[in-house]
Amino acid sequence: MAIIDSQPPAATRGKKIDIQELSLVYDGGEEAVQALSGVSLSVEEGSFTCIVGPSGCGKTTLLRTIAGLESPDAGRILVNSEPITEPGLDRGMVFQEYALFPWRTVRGNIRFGLERPDCGCADCESRVDELVDLVGLDGFEDHYPKALSGGMKQRVGIARAIAPDPEILLMDEPFGSVDARTRDRLHAELLDIWAATDQTIVFVTHDIDEAVRLADKIVVMEADPGRVQSTRTVSLPRPRNRTDTAFVEVVADIRAELGEPVETR
Amino acid sequence: MSHQTESSRKNRSKIWYAADLRRYSRGIGGLAAFFAVWWVGALLTQPSYLLPTPGESAQAFVELFATSTAVSAPFLGPGLVLPTGFAHLVETLYHYVPGLLLGAVCGIGLGLTMGWSGRLDDWLQPLIRLLRPIPPLAWIVFAIVWFGIHHTGAAFIVFIGAFWINFYGAYGGVEGVDSELTDAASTLGVDRDLSMLKLVALPSAAPQILTGFRTSIGRCWMIVVGAELFGAPGVGYEIINASNNLAMATSVAYMLLISLAFLCMDVGFRLLERRALAWR
Repeated sequence: MAIIDSQPPAATRGKKIDIQELSLVYDGGEEAVQALSGVSLSVEEGSFTCIVGPSGCGKTTLLRTIAGLESPDAGRILVNSEPITEPGLDRGMVFQEYALFPWRTVRGNIRFGLERPDCGCADCESRVDELVDLVGLDGFEDHYPKALSGGMKQRVGIARAIAPDPEILLMDEPFGSVDARTRDRLHAELLDIWAATDQTIVFVTHDIDEAVRLADKIVVMEADPGRVQSTRTVSLPRPRNRTDTAFVEVVADIRAELGEPVETR
Repeated sequence: MSHQTESSRKNRSKIWYAADLRRYSRGIGGLAAFFAVWWVGALLTQPSYLLPTPGESAQAFVELFATSTAVSAPFLGPGLVLPTGFAHLVETLYHYVPGLLLGAVCGIGLGLTMGWSGRLDDWLQPLIRLLRPIPPLAWIVFAIVWFGIHHTGAAFIVFIGAFWINFYGAYGGVEGVDSELTDAASTLGVDRDLSMLKLVALPSAAPQILTGFRTSIGRCWMIVVGAELFGAPGVGYEIINASNNLAMATSVAYMLLISLAFLCMDVGFRLLERRALAWR
């Protein structure tokens, strides 16, 4: 796959996701945890947004709420100006621990979202073939997840999520469990897929390098209670190189904001 | 390089072969020791009919298949004549198989629904706590007064035994479904409980369900023999019938027949299980 370095015209498009004063409390037995407190955020159509922050800042909760897997206690989320109440095929999700169906082969996993009656794809088999090809899993179609490496599992996870052609792709630390070299390759592939599909991506990570590598916009969150600390636009040209001065500066800037020690490499 | 791999593979298979050989020879040794103790014990026991020797038992086993008996079972017609051992085995299977299958279907069905629906679980949990500890054979009195101690009564007892084991297999399996998988399915358009049950809970619980069923195959053999000791026709009845005539060698032969029937079913089901769960 060739790496496409053209910049999608993200900023010129409309609001895809509009998060308004979102609050969510986890009732954790003894004491309730304020996972999100008054989070407001908008995501432009076709853009790549990364959410970073320390553990416990509610970034995963925010993503799950956009997916419709959590219900907020206050505030709301609009997608295409419609409020979210439950999960839907317009929002695909990629999970940190893959969450592949172990009893289904690679093909079977990718096809899962295409088997719903409301999917309406004309030719599901060729769609699956296309996706297997897109994520580079040719030859592994009939393998069960147990036989795949972490990187391959997440390729399946991505293909499965984008199979029903969602408008929004939600990714929860998707590359947190793969080794650094594989992660690098997956970043490039993900950007290719993004360019090819024109989806709006919201990507949660604790890895600031990863966020700067991928994002148009980076949202920094802080913990106790989980809220948005800052948002910034990253306008470095793609493909981005970790060793470029401008790249390093953005990373150092975010690290400083989070109060993390700045690495000198 | 390829030569090296070849030789290391050969080496490994040689090591495996040696380990297998050692294991099998130990197993055969254990069996031989058992038969030796049995044989000596039988020779020393007086009066000798209290414990038949392995040889006498083997002879009785052969005789089970040298003589013929008409099977008195419904649907087969009156005239079906089989070797005696098979005839009584067929009688047993006449209540074993329906009891096992019906018990498994009902147990798995209720286990899945209860494991899935918290409300039903709230309703039924105390009742199940109350009924579960009752050994299936205790229901024999109701089997007798409701159905009579024939095929239906024995099937009823087997049903109860199969029901609980399969119920807990399915219930535990569904409770253990990874919430990440149901989340993933939700984001992929599964929005009804029934679809979630079919597409995620059932396949995810399949290993426990199949283990439950395999356990019930064995447990139901114990139960069926218990029910037959009360008079339902079949191999269990023949065990006690033979011993009433002090033909202990024949009793042993029927015991061996039960063991072999169970072994065949167990091995067969394990093969099916391995194939169905190839994804694990």
